Amino acid sequence: MAFPPDGAGLTAVVVDDHPAVRAGVAHWLSSADPPIRVVASGEDVRVAWLGEGADADVVVLDLHLGGPTPALGDLRRLAAAGRRVVVYSMRADDATALQCLELGALCYLTKAEGEDHLVEAVRAAGHDRPHTPPSLAGALAGDRSDQRPALSAREVEVLVEWFQSESKDFVAHRLGIAPTTVNSHLERIRVKYAQIGRDAPTKAALVARAIQDGLVAAHDL
Amino acid sequence: MSGESTAAGRMSVIVRVALLAVVAALQIGLSSAPLITHHGEYRPAWAADAAFAALALVTAVSAVPVLRGRPLPPVVVAPGTAVVLLASAAATLALPPGGQFSTPDWSFGLIGWHLMLLLLDRLPLFGAALATHVAMTVGHVVATGPSDRAAVGGAGIVVLGVTTFQLAAVAIARVLHRRAGQADELAAQRDRLVTGAALAEQRQLDQRARFAGQLGATLPLLAGLADRTLDPREDDVRHRCAVVAAQLRRLFAENDEVPDPLVHEVSACVDAAERWGLSVSLAVSGDAVPVPTAVRRELTGPVVAALARARSRARVSVLRTEEEVRVAVVCDAEGPGPRPAGSPEVEVTCHAHGQQTWTEARWRSHRTAQD
Repeated sequence: MAFPPDGAGLTAVVVDDHPAVRAGVAHWLSSADPPIRVVASGEDVRVAWLGEGADADVVVLDLHLGGPTPALGDLRRLAAAGRRVVVYSMRADDATALQCLELGALCYLTKAEGEDHLVEAVRAAGHDRPHTPPSLAGALAGDRSDQRPALSAREVEVLVEWFQSESKDFVAHRLGIAPTTVNSHLERIRVKYAQIGRDAPTKAALVARAIQDGLVAAHDL
Repeated sequence: MSGESTAAGRMSVIVRVALLAVVAALQIGLSSAPLITHHGEYRPAWAADAAFAALALVTAVSAVPVLRGRPLPPVVVAPGTAVVLLASAAATLALPPGGQFSTPDWSFGLIGWHLMLLLLDRLPLFGAALATHVAMTVGHVVATGPSDRAAVGGAGIVVLGVTTFQLAAVAIARVLHRRAGQADELAAQRDRLVTGAALAEQRQLDQRARFAGQLGATLPLLAGLADRTLDPREDDVRHRCAVVAAQLRRLFAENDEVPDPLVHEVSACVDAAERWGLSVSLAVSGDAVPVPTAVRRELTGPVVAALARARSRARVSVLRTEEEVRVAVVCDAEGPGPRPAGSPEVEVTCHAHGQQTWTEARWRSHRTAQD
């Protein structure tokens, strides 16, 4: 999949079973600066596979489409096809969030986290970059699974304080580092997570992008 | 079952000692007389003597653990049973023709008692060994003896009488043992009830003491408001009221039976803060871990203090990782407050940046668990 030109021209498809949420997300994305064009939206994941939706750069996917079970199968198929998915869910459930990352989602966002995080997550996903909102940082910090990657003490501290304060500025001040360094730490953590569990083209693209950005060196992996 | 401290254990010891006495008495009192009287008729006589000596030896060896009040160890039981069965075979084979189940037969009944002494705790094995003994003896009679009807009838009566009596004795021993076991169970149940009642009483006393202790800050405040030495229009008094209200809410939440008490208590503090007009968001991550009540109190104390100083909004977070539990409040506080006191268990840290104050209480669950 070709990279969209930087900034302008980014397209998205929104899958959510609530029309109001679809309309709200479309409005947030299209009124962002630069705007993100919503080419299709619908209550069923089919809109992401057919018509204009099939070519959208980013899929914004509600995990609970009507049924009680999260649509993890749909997420897996989308990620396996190399689609960049931002999961947008009602629930702040650590286990589900970690599972979504493992399946290849580029971001897990709770609906409580709002406009700024969603726009930022979609924009980052459009360029194969991860976005780690505070709730996801909490899930990563509280991860006790056996296969979790080894994080440095500084990385853990960044995760925890970003989760606690929701302010990168604050974390930077507390730890005596630049706000951009907070971002690099968060991205490096996500690169480590992209290397565990099931393979997905989206995870490989995330790692490749991090190498391109100079965040990690190829021989460190 | 074998412990002497239980009624079942004591009953086993008594039954085994009684059985030992019965075996010794039968061998000396009943079996030695026919052996001596008919000594010349056994073919060969030394086989009968050897069988008698072997049985006496088994009794003597068994007496050691029995008199010490212990169950018979397998090292005595296994060879002992083999020796008894061999003695049974030798004694039966050495009997004069037609001597089975009549006066020269000194061993038939005695063998059963020996087997009982050895195998009382192993009933299936006892049944098998007794059946082997009876089958060997009866088989020998059928194979060799003259089968006139009166002799067969007499033999049948002896076999039936002796084995029935022995099986009845075993059944009585088992019943006694089971009853003793039931008595033990009842006694244990009574002990548990008594302990439970004592614990409940203690818990109630503790709870009362704890409430009294925690109410320490509340009572002077109420007294001050009542006698008008404190003015509710003053910020400081209102602040104290807010803290006390949140502490009370937390204290009530402490006694609720919930799966995640820490989050329940933090939620109670958040709830109280929302009532006095703050906009608070609560984020929880990581699976619940058990946190002692005293530590929970220390973790939530700084939360109450920080929330009470917040102006309009706050974010409260609870994070449980592999090693630690971290409860943090980030809020727009009114200036730097008094530094909350930590404890050896819970470390409290504060940091202010711009309009924001960050307060964190941190408990290392692993280190404390090892101490």
